[in-house]
Amino acid sequence: MVTIDLAVTPVREANETMRAAAARGEDIEIANPDARHHIGVGLIAPVRVKVKGSAGYFCAGLSHGADFEVDSNVGWGVGDSMYAGSVVVGGNAGAIAGVALRGGEVVVKGNIGSRAGQVMKSGTLLCCGNASFLAGYMMYGGRLIILGDSGERVGEDMSGGEVFVGGKVANLGADAKFADITDQDLDEINAFLQKYDIVFTGNFKKIVSAGTKLHYGATEPITRPQPHTVFSAEGVYWNPKVTEDIAVKSQIGRYRIRGYGAAKAVPHFTDIALKLDPNRIGAGDPLKSVNLAMVLGNRFGAKPLNLSMPVLIAPMSYGALSKSTKIALGRASRLSGIVENTGEGGMLPEERAEAAQLIFQCLSGRLGWNIHDMLRADALEIYISQGAKPGLGGQLMAKKVTKELAAIRGIPAGIDLRSPSRHPDILGADDLVIKVEELREATGYTKPISIKMGAGRVRDDIKIAYKDGFDFVQLDGLQGSTGAASTEVLENVGIPTLAAIQEALDGLNDIGHKGDMPIVLMGGIKDGVDAVKALALGASAVAMGTAALIAGGCISCMQCHVGNCVTGIATQDPEHEARYKLDRQALAIHRFLEAVRWQIAALTAALGHSDFRQLSRDDLVALTPEAAAITGLPYDPDYRGVAGEFHTKVA
Amino acid sequence: MAGCKPFSVDLSADQSKLPHYVPPPCQVACPIGTDVGSYVGLIWSGDTEGALEAITATNPMSAICGRVCDAPCEPACRRAAADGPVAIRALKRWVMEALGPTYLPKPVVPDKDKSVAIVGAGPAGLTAAQDIALSGYHVELYEALPKPGGMTVWGIPDFRLPASVVEEDIARILKRCPGITLHTSATLGEAVTLDELTAKHHAVLLAIGAPAGKKLGIPGDASASVIDGVSFLNRINGGDRPILPKHVVIVGGGDVAMDACRTARRLPGVEKVTVLYRRGEKEIPARQHEIEAALAESIEIIYQVAPIAIATEGENRLTLTCRKTELGAPGADGRRSFGTVAGSDFTIVAGLVIAAVGQKTVSAELAKHGLLENDRIVTDAATMKTRHDKVFAAGDAAFGSSTIVQAMHQGHKAAYYVLAAIEGNQHPVPYRTPYRTRAAALAQDPQWELLAPVKPKFLGLSGFNDTEANYNNKTAKEQAARCYRCDTETGSVDYSVKTREAIFSLARMDSTPTDIARLTRERLAMRSYSSGDPTPTLDELVFLPANLTRLVIDPYREACKTVTDFSNGLKTAHPVIAGGFDTAPVEIREALADALAASGGAYLGRTPPATPNVPWLQILNAGQPAEPSAAAVILRANVTGAAGVPHTATKEQLRGLIVTAQNADDVVPFAVDHGVDLIVLDGTGHLGEDWPDLAGAPDISLLPRTVAILRKLNAEEAVKLIWFGGLRSGSDLAKVMALGSTAGIVNVAAAIAAGGAITPDGMMFDAPERKTSADRVAAYVKAVVAECSMMARCTGKTNVHNLEPEDLRTTSIRAARATGIVMAGMKHVA
Repeated sequence: MVTIDLAVTPVREANETMRAAAARGEDIEIANPDARHHIGVGLIAPVRVKVKGSAGYFCAGLSHGADFEVDSNVGWGVGDSMYAGSVVVGGNAGAIAGVALRGGEVVVKGNIGSRAGQVMKSGTLLCCGNASFLAGYMMYGGRLIILGDSGERVGEDMSGGEVFVGGKVANLGADAKFADITDQDLDEINAFLQKYDIVFTGNFKKIVSAGTKLHYGATEPITRPQPHTVFSAEGVYWNPKVTEDIAVKSQIGRYRIRGYGAAKAVPHFTDIALKLDPNRIGAGDPLKSVNLAMVLGNRFGAKPLNLSMPVLIAPMSYGALSKSTKIALGRASRLSGIVENTGEGGMLPEERAEAAQLIFQCLSGRLGWNIHDMLRADALEIYISQGAKPGLGGQLMAKKVTKELAAIRGIPAGIDLRSPSRHPDILGADDLVIKVEELREATGYTKPISIKMGAGRVRDDIKIAYKDGFDFVQLDGLQGSTGAASTEVLENVGIPTLAAIQEALDGLNDIGHKGDMPIVLMGGIKDGVDAVKALALGASAVAMGTAALIAGGCISCMQCHVGNCVTGIATQDPEHEARYKLDRQALAIHRFLEAVRWQIAALTAALGHSDFRQLSRDDLVALTPEAAAITGLPYDPDYRGVAGEFHTKVA
Repeated sequence: MAGCKPFSVDLSADQSKLPHYVPPPCQVACPIGTDVGSYVGLIWSGDTEGALEAITATNPMSAICGRVCDAPCEPACRRAAADGPVAIRALKRWVMEALGPTYLPKPVVPDKDKSVAIVGAGPAGLTAAQDIALSGYHVELYEALPKPGGMTVWGIPDFRLPASVVEEDIARILKRCPGITLHTSATLGEAVTLDELTAKHHAVLLAIGAPAGKKLGIPGDASASVIDGVSFLNRINGGDRPILPKHVVIVGGGDVAMDACRTARRLPGVEKVTVLYRRGEKEIPARQHEIEAALAESIEIIYQVAPIAIATEGENRLTLTCRKTELGAPGADGRRSFGTVAGSDFTIVAGLVIAAVGQKTVSAELAKHGLLENDRIVTDAATMKTRHDKVFAAGDAAFGSSTIVQAMHQGHKAAYYVLAAIEGNQHPVPYRTPYRTRAAALAQDPQWELLAPVKPKFLGLSGFNDTEANYNNKTAKEQAARCYRCDTETGSVDYSVKTREAIFSLARMDSTPTDIARLTRERLAMRSYSSGDPTPTLDELVFLPANLTRLVIDPYREACKTVTDFSNGLKTAHPVIAGGFDTAPVEIREALADALAASGGAYLGRTPPATPNVPWLQILNAGQPAEPSAAAVILRANVTGAAGVPHTATKEQLRGLIVTAQNADDVVPFAVDHGVDLIVLDGTGHLGEDWPDLAGAPDISLLPRTVAILRKLNAEEAVKLIWFGGLRSGSDLAKVMALGSTAGIVNVAAAIAAGGAITPDGMMFDAPERKTSADRVAAYVKAVVAECSMMARCTGKTNVHNLEPEDLRTTSIRAARATGIVMAGMKHVA
């Protein structure tokens, strides 16, 4: 037995001591916990932990196999994302008790706050007293038992699992319904209560998903996109694209869905010119004469990512993409010495094996989020939003939510998945600080932690990101793509990538921290030419998603959401996935990345530099009044001529 | 049907006429640049005539190619790597069988005096003859054999290419080109001499082919039982059906070998046919399609074996000694070298050996003039000229063995240089295959990703009858639906075809640093930019999502209020008003009213809604009485000129004015002065007329201008604004609400939802039906309301009426100026 006195030991040190003790199989006692946050997070050994008092936020969060006993109360998020083991709380629990529970048992002897069991996927959460509003909110699975009364909107938007209430139910949440309780239910509940020596004699009401919101109603007819020329020209207001949109909506009664990003023209990197002599491109051996290597993620002493060039693979999920595609991206990233990203929905073992460096994304639904993969990751990333659909959670149509995929994510198979748009435990900037701290505690402060952000009020958002202590920001503009989103959101929500980087730089400048927090820019970065422009404007690195997929054979038909991807990229159908020749496409993506490397080096050299960090705004001019206004670069349309000379000639 | 001239004379111009066009891989792989994407697209859409035009435009032997083209387009097809290529050749056959025999393009009568002689009426000669004749010149075409067609007639057996198919193509060429005079059985040097031709014509093109088979070149190959493949095929195609020995051996692995083995298999007496090829299965030049057919006909193919001697042991009995080979590294021509394996000899006993090991050109006349060297006509590929200044050459005689489509390419190219020469152009732009596009629409087939490749049915061995069936109409359409349509522009300005192809090129295995440098320079080009039209649209506004600075509201599930209060007790469930259906068919007016009643929306128009349970905003002209049934009366201030106030019929009726960009400065203050309840802002200037939305993009500056006037008068809360003009979606509605409107009026969009089509005469409704249209309008309104509230929630709002200008940014300077909304990325209006 190890005793740790939190009156004298900081939590960070205490957690390290706990991990060491647990590794030796020693039980642990925490004295004077004084409601400190993160007690026992990331503990993954079957030991007993006794907390002699009250614990703060995320007690026993991200643990696996340990048995916690807390004498008094706990703050919010007790048992966050726990995989197995147990937590017994002698007193009350704050909000989101058992949030994202993936297994194990959480028992609260007193009352629990609001949103108990939010997005839980498995395991049992028991509240012996009363529960506040929104108990079982958006739960995907598992069992929530409330012996006392439940507050309003029980089981709101749950898509799986069961809620049992022994007392009064104030009212049902949206898409929840009462169901008949079975003998088996009762046997299991009684066994559970007995295990924890709890006596209950009342009658239970059972609440389950009504299932009315798990699927879209009418199926959207499959249409291949109209060529952009039908709507991108001036003076074609009621064009065939518009009439098709209206006609389809009049059949399905809701917004349309497609893949890819904003399709309309907005100010972008093509509206900026590099001040160089095109004939100098490729002179000498640029790969030898220009330094492209960088590290990312060492602001707070974590082990940083090592990049052979300032390029990352943008986050894209297994789910939106086939497993083969994820493996190909992982392999290509390794071969090119850069970093891959899991996107939403968990880490594939094959992807982990292929990618030498992998960022693991934590999303609102906590799909596939777990301590073991966190420890296997090279960096962690909190997803707030994405450029394609900022303000909304991920979206995956039922055709792609296969059994295997659902198992990794911990959700029911075959639903039209719309991930929550908001993290259960991040309602504001202050929560985010504590969340970052939890992830650092759980992984011993060894992993860089980044934030993924779609571009909205970037000038202000970036200041919060800075203050919340991230190692770097992945900033995604309006042109960022996705596997499925409302077409209206794709076109109309968020600001262009060019505006996003400018606002981010301005925002950091406003608080006197320009250059202090790296910004990885993404959203329509297509090759080394765009990358150099972004770097010269002030991005620390860029990330490419769609361009990498195209390099691997994507034909830009924008039908990713349908799930029948003709090239086997955006599909979970084995027959279609078989069309994707993994070995060949991995090498194609790798070759593309090497071409990008060459481009960045050659353009940097042609601009007279020997390191990409020497690129600056002095290397750029704006070709349009918009680009000039946004970036503050000099407007020099004369460069159009220079650029125009090299306009692609057909064949 | 469009003119079928294969190329414009100015080859330096872009032949596609589309600035964004990038020729697809199939078109690039085709030596004559066939517009494959278009013809496949046209097949799907049912325009078989259009498909035929696209096919025949550059291909005078379209029906022939539908049967026997080696189709280099198919391995180039991007779908080949997925689940198999689009059946480009078989689809061509389907089109040609559907329309080819009756298709006659307009004849082009020669209008010029000069003439050209062409020797050889094979694919190269006929192609050149057509091009030159279509340019208005006379062509004298000499053919040594009794029938035109060259190897297509004499070299390809009937079971692959029936004679009627060849005749169809040739008849079309000759009917279309009355300027071509054909002389058959007219051998060069016998019927006519080169000197005569050069004296009589302005240019001479030699396209005499390589019809003489080469010998095996091994001991014993002079035997009467050893014949060459071309002679064999010529004889059978001439109609002869000899009884052959039981076992026939073919040596070679090319197309002639395949045709010879399959021909022999069909002849009486033959029990076994064996093909010997010196390299491996991967190296064999014959098409996979032909090899599969041969195997299906029980023909044996032995790889990596070379005959080394033949011993004749009597009539129809020979012993062929063979040696196994081993393959080495690829040589300069890309083909793997091979050597024989010592001690691996074995023998094959056979009755007949057919050598299909290559062909050569033989012509004493040309030899006499010193034009031949190494069995070929010495020809400069850059100009197609021979050693004789007026004499050009093309086809197998000039450049060795080739396919039909390669020969046609040479024919086009030779015609181009011949035409340049006779027109006095000494330095024509170097010939390149022109890539045109007919920009056919994409196949909207919901199955396009699922449909598997279907090969034309193999009919089996049945004499000299067709071995391959044509597609039926259904299969043809399905196979056409499979096309990726790499030729069509994508749906994204950002990821255009040019961008996609540039990325593909960067990822190509064979891209060199020079290629990447070129691609990089090309990508320095800016895209087209227009600042011409000063009128921005709602598309140049975007919403700012809630991220960190605002609490995120879940747009998928959290509630968002849409109830709309027009003041004075007039409330609707949502802010969508439909309007301007006064002249729509009664069924549509009823449908609209049903949909509005069901969803709780209002109607605006000169005449009342078809059912009374929908709040009606009546549009009045000056002096017109208000109807008591109207919930509000809206006066057309734009028509009356002088501002006035509508007279109400009841106490409860709201009073409103229609304001346009022209009269806002006067009418808005007037409305405030007179305590008007509603201002309907008409961004089109046509509200009150029929289908006012068809005016196009509205003037969105009217809305912020009006708000500014109201603000100046300190009357922002005194009057409700209703927007009309250009509303297409819930996003549009959300934008005008963020700019200050309480509600928005949909006109054309609702009519399209109801099933209407835009025509020059307004909206037209084909067979209107109340229930169907009502359901569709209701669904559309539901979608619009949902989209509008989704936008609100994205910005962190739970009531659509809480949208505000601060939720918006503009993406263009003109939009920023028109709306006063700051451009994204900036702090102030530029």
